[in-house]
Amino acid sequence: MLKVKNITVRYGKSVALDNVSLSVEENSVVSIVGANGAGKSTILKAVSGLIPLDSGEIWFQDQRIDGSSTVDIAKLGIVQIPEGRWLFPHLSVLANLQLGASLRKNKKEIEDDIQKMFRLFPRLKERCNQKAGTLSGGEQQMVAIARGLMARPKLLLMDEPSLGLAPVIVRQLGEIIKDINKRGVSVLLVEQNVPLAMEVASKGYALQTGKVILEGEIEKIKSSKVIKSAYLGG
Amino acid sequence: MKRMSAEHQNSINKSKEKIAKPVLLAVLIAFFALFPLFVRSPYYLHILSLTFIYTVAAVSLRTITISGQFPLAHGAFMGIGAYLSALMAKFWGWLPLLCIPLSALATAVIGMLVGFLFSRLRSLHYAVGSLFFGIGVIYIIYAFPCTGGYTGMMGIPRLFQTADKMTYYYFFLVLALISIVALYRFEFSHIGTILKAIAQSHLVASSVGINEAWYRILVNGVGCFFVGLIGAGYAHYNMAMSPTAFNFMATLWLCMYVLIGGINSFAGPIIGTFFLFLLPEFVRDLQEYSPYFSALLLLIVIFFMPRGLVSLPALLKSYFLKRGEGERISNVSGS
Repeated sequence: MLKVKNITVRYGKSVALDNVSLSVEENSVVSIVGANGAGKSTILKAVSGLIPLDSGEIWFQDQRIDGSSTVDIAKLGIVQIPEGRWLFPHLSVLANLQLGASLRKNKKEIEDDIQKMFRLFPRLKERCNQKAGTLSGGEQQMVAIARGLMARPKLLLMDEPSLGLAPVIVRQLGEIIKDINKRGVSVLLVEQNVPLAMEVASKGYALQTGKVILEGEIEKIKSSKVIKSAYLGG
Repeated sequence: MKRMSAEHQNSINKSKEKIAKPVLLAVLIAFFALFPLFVRSPYYLHILSLTFIYTVAAVSLRTITISGQFPLAHGAFMGIGAYLSALMAKFWGWLPLLCIPLSALATAVIGMLVGFLFSRLRSLHYAVGSLFFGIGVIYIIYAFPCTGGYTGMMGIPRLFQTADKMTYYYFFLVLALISIVALYRFEFSHIGTILKAIAQSHLVASSVGINEAWYRILVNGVGCFFVGLIGAGYAHYNMAMSPTAFNFMATLWLCMYVLIGGINSFAGPIIGTFFLFLLPEFVRDLQEYSPYFSALLLLIVIFFMPRGLVSLPALLKSYFLKRGEGERISNVSGS
């Protein structure tokens, strides 16, 4: 459903992405792994229209989306959960969720979905009137994910969701991502936590200084020498 | 056990607050509604009418700021409302009561146009952009002979047949109440939440599909509608005015009302306007120094009450609570 074709992105003179191609199939979870500064987040920013491309094309469901505005891309069903849990910190948890549904009109369905999110994340129900900025890191991540889901996305872009979370929460996160995928949402996941990325995804890409160095089925990535030695301690 | 009782206390305090606020509001409104029955001095009625007028201007300025933009042309928009209404009434002979809402609408449209032109500007750039727009408005008023230019505009038709201050007092009291209630409901509506979200992060807002530019244009329209409305009312009350009433200095005063009262609270600009308008009445001898006075006050408020005068009760409360606790501790250690 998402096809990124040979994109190049520059920040000033430095090349952030160099001729990168990747694809996300319908109903799948795809992981992008790589070290800091490899260009992982840049891919997501390019897909959601937050930064312009130097060259290349991005297609979503047979429609070219590079050059469209962030709002128009969101309207197509691509929703990004940004790194560092960018919430609206001074608004309540409930308001954050409601804003996630900004593009939807049907108030009853929105209300139903909020209840669904509360079933998925019972913690958020307890904290529903608290300001999002006062929650713990894990809870904020739940708000960010729930807010993303409130838009009923077709494709969810997740930027380092495990960042700063305790290991036990990271394990839960894996279950949540699988659960989201079961509900028919495709996920493009950018992760430094390689075990998590490998656990949930069916396909993977490894990035190094703006170039794809490895791609394919997740088993292939897992067993590759580069990944093993660099991330999985083997 | 202790924690339980603390929570219990907390909930009692909260329900107390829930009752206290409406009661306080009702008392204040009753006070201003009954005021002319006891104080017949036209001077004080005049001062209070002006206070009501500038309260609406300050509150509507703050409404625009909840979206994260800080306009520096609000005085000029008040002038746009005032001059449009005055011109319509004077040269076309329309009824002032009709001209006031019409020019408020026109001001809103102009505000949205300016918002559209500046929709790509944020924070400082927006402030400076609107500042120059405000200055431009004053020069446009100067440029047309029908406005009276530098000397000002005279003979603006009066709002009511009478010159009785009490009539105008009640008119502006009601107009201010309606405007404030409308702006309050606007701020705490779903749109208000969206505006606050945009202020907190316009990038996140657009990533969830909020059309940031449109909402910033919309809030400009709302803020300018009410300042245009009250400006038009002012014109037909004063019956004469010059552009200096709406220049950059006027905008700065509005900002001062908002900042001293507290920009983060809805009540802030109301408290700020009343405070700065009524304070000089108590120190009449110092009136010519009032700009210096207000600047000093702003410094004091920013140093000691960064959230504005609104936060004064809470600050005092925590101060006395701490002192009370300190005494108790010293008592314990003494015994």
